[in-house]
Amino acid sequence: MNYFAIGDEDAVLGFGLAGVRGRAAKNADEALGAFREAVADRKVGVVLITERAADLIRPQVDSWLASESFPLVVEVPDRGGRLPGRPGLRELASSALGVGA
Amino acid sequence: MRNDAPTRTNLLALREELSLARLGRELLDQKRKILANELLALVDQGAELERKADEALAKAWRLLEDAALSDGVLEVSILAGAVNAEAGIELGRRSVMGVPLPVVRTEFVERGPYYSPLDASYRVDAAAAAFREVLSMMGRLAELRVSILRLAAEVRRTARKANALEKIAVPEMEDAVRRIADRLEENERDSLALMKTVKARLGNAPVF
Repeated sequence: MNYFAIGDEDAVLGFGLAGVRGRAAKNADEALGAFREAVADRKVGVVLITERAADLIRPQVDSWLASESFPLVVEVPDRGGRLPGRPGLRELASSALGVGA
Repeated sequence: MRNDAPTRTNLLALREELSLARLGRELLDQKRKILANELLALVDQGAELERKADEALAKAWRLLEDAALSDGVLEVSILAGAVNAEAGIELGRRSVMGVPLPVVRTEFVERGPYYSPLDASYRVDAAAAAFREVLSMMGRLAELRVSILRLAAEVRRTARKANALEKIAVPEMEDAVRRIADRLEENERDSLALMKTVKARLGNAPVF
């Protein structure tokens, strides 16, 4: 199975250099279309989506993450780096375990 | 507040239910602990890998920018179109206490050379290599991230169930058991008193 990249044009270009198919998405409609295409494709195993693109279709991405289906979806930082104010993996775990905030 | 009729059958049934609820709470607590252990183990790996992947990706973006600046975006995208590589991802599943977790194995299949090394500048090659390195981490990172999200959700759910049993269901049942037991005892005392009265009266009266 393969990767699939969704993000700005740079992201698609960059991952394209490593042989990953991708769709550029500048607005919510495009992002949604790309996302639907990616998850419907049986040959896609992991969807790489930039945080900015994921924010455009946050409800869909979150509900996909909450469901137990394949492909897996990972949010990656784009050229600007990680967006601020995201809970990291550690914060997520500690909030679930009831320690810390 | 439960409203069972104060009968012996109900008392027995409730006691049974109560011990079942206590057992269930214990089991849920164990489940929560096991899930939490797994979660903690994964978080350590995940945070470390995420840091590495972020660094690798930042480097890849820089190299891509270099390549685009020196060769032009058009050239890079033409070369990207020629890349014939495939990430052979294999997806599996494992299960921790009934929570399905993904397992990802990534293996690169490259069918190079896909463009003439004479035409492409080393910057494009460097960027491509950097992105390949990022991809090699992404499979495992995807596995860890998704596993952590699912485990965290399941830990929350389990803790909520255990709390509901401990704080609501069990006290309510204990209350009901106490109420019924009190009532039964009271009835017993009533009937004993009644018997004594009857006996006393019978004792005074002529026996046929």
